[in-house]
Amino acid sequence: MIKPEWIADNLGVIAGALIDHLVLTVLAVWCGLMISLTAALLIRRLGFLRGPVTATFGILYTIPSLALFAFLVPFTGLTLVTAEIGLIGYTLLILTRNILAGLDGIPAEIRESADGMGYGRRQRLLAVDLPLALPVIFTGLRIATVTTVGLVMVTAVIGEGGLGQLMLRGFNRQFPTMIYVGFVLIIVVALVLDVLLQLAERLLTPWARRAT
Amino acid sequence: MRTFRRAALGATIVALLVSACTSGGSSPSATTAATAAPTAAASAVASPSTAASPASAAPTGSIASQLTLGGPPECPQRPFCVLGLKDTYGVEFKLFLPLDAGGPLSLSAIKSGLVDVGLLFSSDPSIQVNNLVALEDDKHLQKADNLVPVVRNDLLAKAPGLPDLINPFMAKLTQEALTDLNKQVTVDGKDSKSVAAAWLAANGLTTGGTSGAGIKVKVGSTNFYEQEILGEIFAQVLEANGFTVERKFQLGNREVVFPALQKGDIDILAEYAATALEYVNKGAGEATGDAAETVTKLNTRLAPLKLTALAFAPATDQNAFVVTKATADKYKLQKVSDLANPAP
Amino acid sequence: MDGITGAFGWLTDPTHWQGADGIPTRFVEHVELAGLAILVALLIAVPIGLYTGHTGRGGALAVNVAGIGRAIPSYALLLVFFPILGFGLLTPLLALVLLSIPPILANTHVGLRGVDRETVDAARGMGMRESQVLTRVELPAAMPVMVAGLRTAAVAAVATATLAALIAGGGFGRYIVDGFALQDQSMLVAGAILVAVLAVITERGLTLAERRVVSPGIRLARDPDGERADDAV
Repeated sequence: MIKPEWIADNLGVIAGALIDHLVLTVLAVWCGLMISLTAALLIRRLGFLRGPVTATFGILYTIPSLALFAFLVPFTGLTLVTAEIGLIGYTLLILTRNILAGLDGIPAEIRESADGMGYGRRQRLLAVDLPLALPVIFTGLRIATVTTVGLVMVTAVIGEGGLGQLMLRGFNRQFPTMIYVGFVLIIVVALVLDVLLQLAERLLTPWARRAT
Repeated sequence: MRTFRRAALGATIVALLVSACTSGGSSPSATTAATAAPTAAASAVASPSTAASPASAAPTGSIASQLTLGGPPECPQRPFCVLGLKDTYGVEFKLFLPLDAGGPLSLSAIKSGLVDVGLLFSSDPSIQVNNLVALEDDKHLQKADNLVPVVRNDLLAKAPGLPDLINPFMAKLTQEALTDLNKQVTVDGKDSKSVAAAWLAANGLTTGGTSGAGIKVKVGSTNFYEQEILGEIFAQVLEANGFTVERKFQLGNREVVFPALQKGDIDILAEYAATALEYVNKGAGEATGDAAETVTKLNTRLAPLKLTALAFAPATDQNAFVVTKATADKYKLQKVSDLANPAP
Repeated sequence: MDGITGAFGWLTDPTHWQGADGIPTRFVEHVELAGLAILVALLIAVPIGLYTGHTGRGGALAVNVAGIGRAIPSYALLLVFFPILGFGLLTPLLALVLLSIPPILANTHVGLRGVDRETVDAARGMGMRESQVLTRVELPAAMPVMVAGLRTAAVAAVATATLAALIAGGGFGRYIVDGFALQDQSMLVAGAILVAVLAVITERGLTLAERRVVSPGIRLARDPDGERADDAV
């Protein structure tokens, strides 16, 4: 079933697909995080936005991924842009929801004492609010990342897909080795990114470790 | 009591799995051939001539009327597929099952009997390997589907020497060569990249050219494996001459990839002369059995789209309607027109 | 944006509401696949989750298995299973079952572990047998979290059943795959709308069910949307 010699001969191809997959994933999650942070902070300032924004992201989330990528092709072509619009779109609901939950969960006393210590609004956000919200944000980030790794696979239908394209090529020419290599690597990528995010969370929230 | 509950649970799971398996046969989604054509989309893609022609009353009780046809989802609206079968042969199937473009879904659907007649391609070695029967196209529905590279004019403006690089290899791409390339990839399990490299080397590709220095080319291919081999041939010829090549393979079917070529998401694509012509002219019926004539007409149609067809290859790859040996024997099928015979 | 207006025309065209590729047929195919997958996933995941949640044994394993499950994309599973299992319901069914088990398993386990230990001990002290503790104390208390897991799984299954069309399956995904192949934006968007509506109905329906299963005694104590439970994995 699996031909090791194909793997040995095509390490470059496999590495290329792996890198494509990582780039598609990381770019989507990073852009998604930036957009979600902006959206969440706007919502915290302008409360009336909460309903409309989360509803929009929620609707975006219910669109089947296959349809969204296919729908965008006549507008943005068979390009990285098409893939990224879809991938970013699907991270927004989870990330925004968790950033808001993290910020909403900070006890009022802590904010008040920060204010009392003379923190400005921006200072308090960076020094107090965001660090305290980090665990909940990271939960969202991990879910969004693992989900995106899987969704990247679907962009194979529009000629992207990273490891998904490797799998689809193997499928179309009935070459199981390519399918299995892609499959295993996708799971490995998801798990490794998940572990890396857990490590990052630990590094960024040393107080949480001391507490337990 | 506990063991009873466990047993009941197990039985339920087994029952569910069994029901899933047995209902499986009916699960792949059939489309009635009759309802498939007049969808809203038909008017956009289907040929005006077809729309205007009197509905060629399918002889009821024909062999085809008892059989299921499988092919790519776009088949019901393609002139060389369901539309042509109806117009040229008077053949209408009981059902159409949307599968893929001559890929693993189509092949296994034919082999497993999920469809009685399946659409594969004439250069596909799987037909011989699996002892399948390609029905002879006795009324010549399929036209000159010679392989021909289609290139964006703005690329030709930047690289006027590009046709002279690719054309010699197209001239050497005979039917035997194409079938052999396909066999190496899909039967022998070799990689399209190395297969293309070996063929190019055997046919005198010399590397180290610099005519393409500084020029970027995006080579595209549809999601049909033969296209990827051809894409590799173009890519490697161009790379040998100093071009910077980006490969964009597995891009979907013609309906998806051709607009991408027009937009510039890709610069060069392997096409099939007659099918490409009938796609670009929206099924006007201009394609003939003559490759030179068909490519000339194709170029006339491509000109307003700012695209150019280069020299065509002797090799063709046409739609082939394929049945298993058993089906061929059962219904005495050798030619496509046999499908119109009265059912036994 | 022709596709969006076109989709309403497509959806209101009566010819699309009949026949082997009509909306009712595709609806039945879609619901059959997603529903069967959820049923099988429940039968597998709930007993395991009840065991690990009740006994506390193998809990980490259950949660980790669920975590890995989330990392496996369903489309990848279809490409892996098709060459082995071929056409039919089994290939997409298996992919969807594997997709649906993680949230159900994790939420069953977490829901049961979340039951107040003192309450459980009190029940034992009252002389309840282990099976009674499970069915009369733990299950009612864990039910909302479990239903939240079911909801997550069901919505994902409805959305993902779309992919079955990529390997010649039926369901609403057919309109999306065929619409893409034909570059018919109306059909494609109509398919997307049908899937989204079905997903939202599933979501709402199970949210209502979730509220109903909260035992009155603990209704005040929990997060009304159950979203925290979704994220517990």
